[in-house]
Amino acid sequence: MGQFPALNQSDLEHFDTVLDELLAKSEADIALLVEKAGYLIHQRGSQHEVDTTTFATLGSNAYNAVHFMAQLVNESNFTSMYQQGEKFSTLMLNVEENSILVLIFPTHLTVGSMKYFAVPAAKALAERVALAAGRDPGMGIDLSDMDAADVQSALFQKGK
Amino acid sequence: MAIINQATKELQVKIVYYGPAKSGKTTNLEQVHQNVQVPDSAAKGKLTSLATSSDRTLFFDFFPLEAVAIKGFKTKFALFTVPGQVIYNATRQIVLRGVDGVVFVADSQYDKMEENVETFKHLEENLKTMNLRLEDIPCVLQYNKRDLPDAAPVDYLDFVLNNREVQLPTFEASASKCDGVFETLNMITRMLLHKFLNNGVRK
Repeated sequence: MGQFPALNQSDLEHFDTVLDELLAKSEADIALLVEKAGYLIHQRGSQHEVDTTTFATLGSNAYNAVHFMAQLVNESNFTSMYQQGEKFSTLMLNVEENSILVLIFPTHLTVGSMKYFAVPAAKALAERVALAAGRDPGMGIDLSDMDAADVQSALFQKGK
Repeated sequence: MAIINQATKELQVKIVYYGPAKSGKTTNLEQVHQNVQVPDSAAKGKLTSLATSSDRTLFFDFFPLEAVAIKGFKTKFALFTVPGQVIYNATRQIVLRGVDGVVFVADSQYDKMEENVETFKHLEENLKTMNLRLEDIPCVLQYNKRDLPDAAPVDYLDFVLNNREVQLPTFEASASKCDGVFETLNMITRMLLHKFLNNGVRK
C-alpha cells in the first residue's frame, strides 16, 4: 500500500480545474477527493451545506468495505459505488491506489451520466497525483530545526 | 499514513483506539469530545458513531480534532475506534488502513484478560496484513476501568500485555469519569509528533 503524496499549490489549482469542470458538466452539487484512510484532500461545489469531513471519512470506509467484499468473491476490484436517495445520490469512484472521487448529486440526474463525466475526471486526478508522487516522494515538513521540547507540552487540555 | 498538504499547510494524522468489546474505546472518544478545550468551535468536529441499536460499535466512531499549529502547519487528528467484537475483524482491518498511531484500550477486570490478550494478538496480525509491525508505529496502552472492584493490579496487566523488550507507555484510566483519557491522548499525539520530528512525515 503506497502513500498519498504531498501536494503543492499548483496541484490544488489543477484539482480545482478538474473538479469545477466535472461539476459544470455533470451538474453534480459536490465533488470530493478523498484519501482512502479517510482524509478529505480537496473539495469543490456547495460543500458548505454538508459536513464534508465526516462524509469523506464515511465514504472512504464504505468504499474500502466494498473493496474488501470484492476480494472475498475473487474480484480484483469494484471500481465504483453508487447510492440512490430520494433527493440526493452519491457515486464513489476509484481514482488511484490511495484515493477516491466522491460525487453528491440530485437524484433526478442519472448515475450513467455521472459516470460518463466522472471517469475522465478521475483519470485526470490520478495523473496529477502520480505527477505529485514522482515530483518528490520524500517531501515532508522540515522539522529539523524544531526542538523535542517543543512537543513536550500537552496538546489537548481538559475543560473545567 | 499521515497526509501533508503543503498548499493548505495542513498535517492530517490518524489515531485508532483498539481493544476488546466494551473496554471503553467509544467512551474515550466521547469524553474527549465532551471535555476538550478548543480555541474555536471549528477545531472540534462532530463525533460520528456507526453503532448497533444496542449502542455497540458496528463499524467505527470518528471524531476529527484540530491541535495548535506546529511550525505553521494546522495539525488535524482523526480519532477512530474499531468494533470490539471479534466477528467484526474485517471491519477493524478496514478502519486500520493508513493508521499512524494506536491506543490499545484494555479492560482491567480479571475476567477480561483473555479477551485483552486475544484482541492484542489480532491487532498485531491486522497490522501485519498492512505490512506494519507494532514497533513501527506509536502505540499507547490504556488500562481502563481502574475504578471497578475486580480490576487486576497494574503489574499483572503489564505482565500480560506489556511483557516485551521495549515496553509501551501505559496509562491507568477510568474513561467513564474522564480519568486518564487526556493523558492517553496527549501521550499518543506527542509520540506521533516525536516520530515525525525524528523521521520526517513521509519517511
